Parts: sequence; structure tokens; C-alpha cells
Amino acid sequence: MASLWDHYTVTNAYDEMRSSGNKARASSHHLSNYLDSLDGAALDVRKTAADLAIMEMGITFTVYSDEGNIDRAWPFDIIPRIIENKEWQRVAVGLKQRLKALNCFINDTYNEQSFIKEGLIPEYIIASSTNFLQECVGMKPRFGAWANICGSDLVRDKDGTFYVLEDNLRVPSGVSYMIENRVITKKVFPELLQDLDVLPVDDYPVNLFEMLMSIAPEHVDTPRIAVLTPGIFNSAYFEHAFLAQQIGAELVEGADLVVQEDNCVYMRTINGLEKVDVIYRRIDDQFLDPEVFRKDSMLGVKGLMRAWKAGNVSLANAPGSGVADDKVVYTYVPEMIRYYLNEEPILPNVPTYMCSDPEQLDYVLAHLDELVVKPANESGGYGMLVGPHASQEEVEEFRKIIKAHPRNYIAQPTLALSTCPTLCNNHLEPRHIDLRPFILQGESSFVTAGGLTRVALKRGSLVVNSSQGGGSKDTWIINTGM
Amino acid sequence: MLSRSAERLYWLARYLERTENTARLLSVYMNLMFDMPMDVQLSWRNLLTIFGAENAFLKLYDVPNEQNTMQFLLTDTANLGSLFSSLNAARENIRTSREIMPDEAWQQVNEMYLFAKENVDSATNRRGRVLILNEIMRGCQRFTGFLSGAMSHDDALRFIRLGRSIERADMTTRILDIASVLLAEDRTDKTRQYENAMWMNVLKSLSALLMYRKHRRHRINSADVLDFLLKDPDFPRSVRHCIKETEAYINRLPRSEGLTDNLTELTASLMATDIHRITPVQLHELLDAIQAKLAVTHNQIASTWFLAPNQDQSQSA
Repeated sequence: MASLWDHYTVTNAYDEMRSSGNKARASSHHLSNYLDSLDGAALDVRKTAADLAIMEMGITFTVYSDEGNIDRAWPFDIIPRIIENKEWQRVAVGLKQRLKALNCFINDTYNEQSFIKEGLIPEYIIASSTNFLQECVGMKPRFGAWANICGSDLVRDKDGTFYVLEDNLRVPSGVSYMIENRVITKKVFPELLQDLDVLPVDDYPVNLFEMLMSIAPEHVDTPRIAVLTPGIFNSAYFEHAFLAQQIGAELVEGADLVVQEDNCVYMRTINGLEKVDVIYRRIDDQFLDPEVFRKDSMLGVKGLMRAWKAGNVSLANAPGSGVADDKVVYTYVPEMIRYYLNEEPILPNVPTYMCSDPEQLDYVLAHLDELVVKPANESGGYGMLVGPHASQEEVEEFRKIIKAHPRNYIAQPTLALSTCPTLCNNHLEPRHIDLRPFILQGESSFVTAGGLTRVALKRGSLVVNSSQGGGSKDTWIINTGM
Repeated sequence: MLSRSAERLYWLARYLERTENTARLLSVYMNLMFDMPMDVQLSWRNLLTIFGAENAFLKLYDVPNEQNTMQFLLTDTANLGSLFSSLNAARENIRTSREIMPDEAWQQVNEMYLFAKENVDSATNRRGRVLILNEIMRGCQRFTGFLSGAMSHDDALRFIRLGRSIERADMTTRILDIASVLLAEDRTDKTRQYENAMWMNVLKSLSALLMYRKHRRHRINSADVLDFLLKDPDFPRSVRHCIKETEAYINRLPRSEGLTDNLTELTASLMATDIHRITPVQLHELLDAIQAKLAVTHNQIASTWFLAPNQDQSQSA
């Protein structure tokens, strides 16, 4: 009988489920065979069930549009992505190590600056960083943890090695989809999850809650936690509501909070004002407090920075953490790990050329057609150049921009990004994926079991962002018993 | 509990109750129309009168026939008072209250919304319409039932119940306004013959037929039905009962001193009115007065517990 896999073509990239000879990898053996036992129609039934569940559960992300149709169903691919637990445990330790070093770096940057004084990072990089906030100088959040919630993007290159592509230390999103993806998979492939030893992912909210409790101001007995959202029109509103619900926190908007003369933060409740001790804020630094940052911010809370600096409220992530969420600073993370932790980095960086360095800039300009060029501190996948996929005009356009603002750009080799079988019109095709695990650091550290696998649904595309035609997959960390 | 959350829950309940009552009213009116002989003048226009939507209707449609009236009141989202508009608004309020509601509550409302959206086209024929209305009524009741068994009976649920009881009182007065239209002095003898059928349908629209029979032990007549639906202390959709519930929920919320005075007055004046001697014009005035009093209570609730519009952040509350 013809196999589902006969028509599957493994490309040059590393495939998560099939080896280069189109044989199932050990960890994916069971899943490969199971999928093979289903025909196209049966797969389609599962897909329809998943789509229906997404509609009914109301898992959405928001797209700004003229018609005011603000909620879109979450694009989900039912074929899971599998990583063996033994491999994952190594990655998880590497991620914790990374976030610890990053937090040491942020703390150092706003205090002693020994990293700079010892000449390990040029001072101008910090001085010119738009995410460095003068207001934070001298602050020391509890446990030295500034970035309490981090979403790091991992990719696998051709040989299967995991690289860290970037560390999102400002307001990383996606964790709710990681959890909901599993809920859907349980509906779609219940029999598979029963047969395989897949690590659960729904312990994230408990760990998030404990982390937030641990960073509360020291004198508070039973801290009150709030999740601060920009509001119902924000693209991640679903996630803000989901997390608030999961950890039993209040979901607040700027107008719900007020800072009083005593430099404490209160929320407006039916009982009058009630004190808030910990805020998991999902608003960017610049909008946090119109008293200090953007005056026109309608999203923030006037006086919030005062309250934070007085130690009356803890903010996660701490303002100013973004100084380490910068693709130029990123290149120094391996150094940070050696310097602050006295350890060797477990996870490698992607080789990165800094346009701020004249020699490296020359190399970048000469190889624009093979490199990926990214702004040093933007997120969301906008404003980047994927050299091999770009037109000549686009390349020339970028050449001008880079020359004008070299500090704002970095370049990396175009990685092959691993592929994973993905359901496309009733059959499986390889599509490029990445992985965003979430790391927490307060009193202790935590890493999700896997993370959110994002998939570029267009053939050959390397752009996985949901705002640009990406979807997601459930991620299975499995014990193979080997 | 956040003021913002309280407000959303309150509106969620009001919109959902409005959705349910609109479904009840449309479904009963359809039944009534089917019962009437062809020569009894009863028009679809009356429905628009009950909803106070004649002007809004005429801006969008010309003839108030069955097709247009039903579309306007049921599926047309350009009409903010249509059933679908109420359901959308309810869904939007619960979508933005998910952090304080059990997941299933959101899913139930969302499913109802998806069902309505999918079946919009079948609403053009009577059969399809009956199915939609039944499903909506069932959905609303499932939701109410689910909440009472799955949500702590705390302030959050009290705001939901508060919104529901106010909306319910308001909707009952609107349904009774049908009487001031149907009992108009100039009605024909033919219409008079079918009056009992009309009153029976009014009772049905409020699920009150059996309870009326049990408690009044009277044949159905307009004065008794009106009296029952306005003054009965125990029937859940009677105006008096709804006011009593509203008072009870208000009293259990924080900072509620003096907030029920308005409702106490309302009950007193309602009880002092002799329904058996009331003219259709007086009835209409009474119902209007009740609606106005309920609006006063709504404003008091909003200014006591909800977030003031454009609340200035520098101002301490």
C-alpha cells in the first residue's frame, strides 16, 4: 500500500520528523506510523475538528483592520512537532543560564557597569541604546531579576543544532497559544497522547504565579497581582485575559489604576481604591508612565515609575530590561555567561555581524543578497531583509538605510531553519519552523516544556510571525525511554 | 472587584436578557399572527411600536411587512436593538471579562453567537426563524443555569444578576405595552373577540401561563394578566418581583447606602395603582414611568460602581 510519506520530500533543511533518507526519526516513529494509518480524508476530519474547537474556544489574535473585524481565529497546524526530552533538558538548562546572565548584565548596566569598565562591551553600545532608561539607574529589583519573563527564539540549522536567534525581554507573547494548542491536540489526537509520554505544558501559569508572588515588595504579606493590558484592541489581548484568568489576577487597563500621594498603586474597584503590589505589565516601557516617558500615552499610569522606584510595587518585567533585548547586545551574551556565571554557554548564538563596526559593515554590504538584516531593536518581523528572497530594489533600499544608521542594524547568515511535516491541502509538506520557549526568573528559574512552535505556512517562507502569515503547532517533549 | 469588570458583567447580563426577551417576544408575536384570522387587523408594525423602533425602522426599510420587520428586529446589525446586535454586545462584554468568568461561560455565549452567525440566512423563512429563536432562548437559559451552578455567589455574580433583573423589569413593561396598543379604544369588535388569545400569548412570552393559572385561578382577562405581570410578588418576571430582586442585589453590594430609595418609591406607587380600573392611556403612562424610574436606578448604579467615562488619572477617586 502506498504510504503517506512516499510523497513527502525532505529538503536541504533539517526535518524534525524525518531523516534525510525520509525515515522516521526515533522520537517520531510512533507519530509517523500513526499518521500513515490515516488517509487524507481522515486527516481532514481532524483538521476540521481542530478549527471548530478554535472557533468555539474563541482562541484569537487581533489584526488591525479598517472594517473593525478585530478577532481572527488562531491558525493552527494539527501535526505536532516533537523534541526528545533528553535533548530538551540540555536546552532548558542553557536557557536558564542565558536568562541569568542577561539579568546580571541588566543589573550591572544600571548599577556598577563593571562589564563596560572591564572593556568587554563598548560603552557607546549602551549609551546609544534606545532601550536604556536613565530613570532606572541605581535600581535593584529583588533577586537581581529584571527580566522575569523571557521568550527566546530558537532555530535549528542544517545539522540540527539549536541556536538562539533572539531573547525577547520586553513583553514576549505566545505562551497562551502554547497552552491552548495542547488543549486542541487533546481533542484531535487523544489516542496518541495516551500512547506517548508527552510532558504537560499547563504548569506554566502556576509557575508564573509563583514567580510574580516571589518578586512582590518584601513587606507585603498577601500580594495582589494585576495584569496590565493596553486594552481590548491589542493584538495579544486574548493572551492577557487568558493569563490573568489562569493566575487569578485582575486584568487592568491604565485607567483602572491610579498612583496616589503615598506613591502606592491602587486600582478602582467597586469598594473604592485597593492597593496593587505586583503588576505583570504587557505595555512597552515608553507607554508605561506619561509622567516620565511618552506624555501622550493613554495606556499607562501616571506616577507608576515613582511607585516602582519607591519600592511600593514590583513590575514584571522591570522597566529598562529592554536594554538587553537588542540585537547588538545579543552578540555579547556568550561573553556575559562567561563573565558573570563563570560558565561556558550551552546554547550558541547565531553568528552576527554588527553594522556599527566598520569592518563588519563592509562585509554585510558586500553580502546583502545572502544575509538576513534586522533592525537592532524592533520586534514583530517588520522591517527586515531576507537577502536570498529579496528583490534587487529591496536590497538597494536596505543598503541606503543601513549606511545611514549602521548602529540600528545587524546581519546574520540566512539559516536553513528546520522543517516539520505540515498539513497542506490534505497531504503533508515540509514547512519551516522555529521555537519560542518561555523562561521565568524570580526567586528561582523555570522553563516551559518545549514552547510555542511557529510555522511559516507558505512554501519556502522563513517568516513565522502570526502577523505575517505564520501559524503554530503543538510542541511535544517526549520521553522515548531510551 | 474592578469597576470596569463590574460594568462589563452588568452589561453582559443586560444584553443577554435583552437577547432572550427579544427572542421570546418575536416568537410569541409570530405565533399570535398565525392564530389570527386574516381579517383581524394586527400588524407587524405593532412589534416595532413595542420596541420603540418605528423611526429607526423607517430609516432602513419602507414597508413594515413580516419579512422586513423580522429582519430588522432579528438579524439586522444596523439596528442596535436587534437580537443579533444584543447578542454581539453580550459576546463582546464577556469576551472582555474572560479573566473573571469560567471558560465554559464564554464558550456558551460564543457558541450561540457562532450559531446565529451561521444561520442568518435561514432566518428569512418562518421555519428557520423558529429554530433560531428556540435555540437562542435555550442558549440564554443554559447560560443562566450554568452560572448559578459554577460561579461563586459573590459580587461578580451579583452584578450579573443586578443587570439581569433590571433588564427583565424593563422588558416586561415593554411587552405589556403591547396591551396599550391592542386595547386601544378604537379597536374593532373582531379584534375584541380575539383578545384572550392575545393575552394568552403575552403570558406565554414571559413563560407565565402556568403560574398565572395556578395563582390567579381565573380565566384569562386583560386586567388580571396585567395585574399579575406587574404586581405579583413571586413570579420571576413580574415587575414587582424584579424590583425586589434588584433591591436585594444592590443592598448586598458595598457602598450601597440610599441606593434603593428610588426603587422603594417605585414599588409603592406601583402597588397603589388599581390595575383593574386603568385606561389604556394610563397604562402606557404607568409603564413609561416605571421605565424612567429604572433608568434612574441604572444611573445611580453606574455612578456608584462603574468607571467614570474619561476618568482623569491625576484625579484621586
